[in-house]
Amino acid sequence: MTNNNQPSCWDDFATVIAAGIKRVLLYGEPGVGKTYAALHTNNENPENAYRLVCTEDLTSAEITGTWMPNGSGTWDFLTGPAINAWIGVDGLGGRLVVDEVDRASGDVLSQLLAMTDSPESARWRHPGTNEILRPGPNFTVVMTSNVEDPEDIPEALIDRFPTRIKIDRPPLAAVERLSEDLRAGALYGVGDSRLPLRSLYAFDQLRAHCGDEEAARLIFGANGEAIVDSLRIARVGQ
Amino acid sequence: MKTYDRTAAPGPKKSASIKVYPAIAAQRNDGFVPGPWTIEEGRAMRGAASCDVNNRVLQVPGAPDQVARLVRAHELTHARVSPTGDVLERAWAEGIHPHALACAEEARVNFLVAQAGFDVEFLCDGTEKDAGEKVAQLGDWPEALCFAAAAKGTGAEKPYLAGIRKGNKDWVTPMRQVLKRIIEILEEQSTSYIASTELLESGYPLGFEATTLPIARLLTTYMSAEIPDGPEALRAFKRGLHPGNRRPVSGKFANLVWLDQPEFERVNLRGDTRKSRPSLSGVSMRYPNRYLTDPQKRVMGKKARADGGIVIIDQSGSMDLSADVVREFAKRHPRARLVGYSHRPGDGGVTPNAWILAANGKVATSEIPANIGNGVDGPILRWAISQRRGSEPLVWVCDGQVTDSHDHPGHHLSVECAELVAKHKIRIVPNLYEVANALAHPRGVRPSEYPRLGRVGRVLADRSKKN
Repeated sequence: MTNNNQPSCWDDFATVIAAGIKRVLLYGEPGVGKTYAALHTNNENPENAYRLVCTEDLTSAEITGTWMPNGSGTWDFLTGPAINAWIGVDGLGGRLVVDEVDRASGDVLSQLLAMTDSPESARWRHPGTNEILRPGPNFTVVMTSNVEDPEDIPEALIDRFPTRIKIDRPPLAAVERLSEDLRAGALYGVGDSRLPLRSLYAFDQLRAHCGDEEAARLIFGANGEAIVDSLRIARVGQ
Repeated sequence: MKTYDRTAAPGPKKSASIKVYPAIAAQRNDGFVPGPWTIEEGRAMRGAASCDVNNRVLQVPGAPDQVARLVRAHELTHARVSPTGDVLERAWAEGIHPHALACAEEARVNFLVAQAGFDVEFLCDGTEKDAGEKVAQLGDWPEALCFAAAAKGTGAEKPYLAGIRKGNKDWVTPMRQVLKRIIEILEEQSTSYIASTELLESGYPLGFEATTLPIARLLTTYMSAEIPDGPEALRAFKRGLHPGNRRPVSGKFANLVWLDQPEFERVNLRGDTRKSRPSLSGVSMRYPNRYLTDPQKRVMGKKARADGGIVIIDQSGSMDLSADVVREFAKRHPRARLVGYSHRPGDGGVTPNAWILAANGKVATSEIPANIGNGVDGPILRWAISQRRGSEPLVWVCDGQVTDSHDHPGHHLSVECAELVAKHKIRIVPNLYEVANALAHPRGVRPSEYPRLGRVGRVLADRSKKN
């Protein structure tokens, strides 16, 4: 931990990004804010970040783009998030955030490897204009994965992403959006006592309407009682 | 409640699969460093669950039943309010008994668990009645009292007191009186005070100082109290429960705690006294000149009687002693030892109650604690007897009043001291001015001196009548 309570993994990530490293893999259990940080860390313009969520059904066309009818009887090629990130809002490249890369199928993974290759090797021909595109100089890629062990990540991906950071705590900025009494729970839960950030956001919002007990029951199910007990003790005398 | 040095805290270990959230509960403002907790599997039994706040380790049962839930709530409350760092060590250094402090903190935590809305009736493991009976049969009043405080207000209280009654019914009423006072201390404060971890200038957290410390002091005092044996004694016992009132009778002397005295000042510049004196007979001719000068021709040397001795002086409030008097004593009796004593009533072994005032022609330069009571008359006499060389004089400077560790007189204490005086021929004198004569004429106390020797004198008089 640093002095300002920011978990050290996020300091590592900020350092890596600030140093100009353009390929970073964040891995670790879900609900710790990997995607949030990937989209926002050292990125002043959130519109210049492009997100791609890998599933088993994701196709390579959804990465680079696809032909779509334009309403006038013809078809236009709409570029996908990877190409949009190559170009960025200013033509210099943006940030591509690829979530849950470990769930991508073989075809998609191959396509992703091509898109995230080094700037010298990466190129793509636009099917509509036949123009050869290359990633802009500011193009960066942050991939996230829910694997606990980096050994579970495909070797080819590891080769392209030598900078891998295990994320075990949510970033302070994401935690500070919670009410104060829930922040420590979000930051310091361990093992089975870890509380996913998204669940805490939902609980925080819901309890304003129906109280702690009902909100905890709806969001955390059987674990709700333990959370409410902790909150009761935290509030005693306050 | 455990205490460890926070700086030496190891990293988090792999936690047990128990749904418990100490990080949420530990909302503190005493500089506690938040961080991940290690959860260990415990049981819903006394001693099988704990909270180590400094190292952030919580040992709790994971069962889904109400007892386990209450045990988890209890340990989480420790995580919320119990002190960190060296707070406990500092309280111990004040003379508060460690067990009393731990049980006082248990009482505060259980009170707060109830205030948080938990049904503390579930805080019992079924062993309390047997435990109460056993501890009463063993006569371990300090342990019995501390445990009762720790169980106060929980489901363990009733069966425990039933066990105490079975083991020794005389303990129940005084124990209830102490427990009643503990609840008064807790209810005198607002819950926000009791639960507060805000650090005060004293270095103690507010809630700890406002409730745990007064309860722990009360327990420390009453752990050594004599069980009252009648209505009058019970009234005195109850009076001592309230601040400002006299402590209860302890019926026991305190243990000796010697003052650390690194330096002494020599006042007898002549050094040691001579070891032989002229005599008509002997084995060596030490004084041949006396053959011409001494009409009695005492030319032989004879071993001089050592003008040493041990003088024990009561320096309680009823006795007075100036530095000049001590210096004069050291000059006149360079081979005697002058030892002072006085006990701070209720002190648990922190404040020194015995010290050397003068020995070998030197006087102590260290500051003597300004205690009030006697408290250690018996132990200091025993110490002096053990230190006595041969038949050297042993003089006790006192007014004949002896008191227990809480500064109450007690007949059996007077008897104890009188027996020592009679058996070991200890001379009692009322002031230091009579010591020179007492050292020169070592003998026991004469019957004519009994009337001016207070309670000890009366016991000696009764004793001589019987004999």
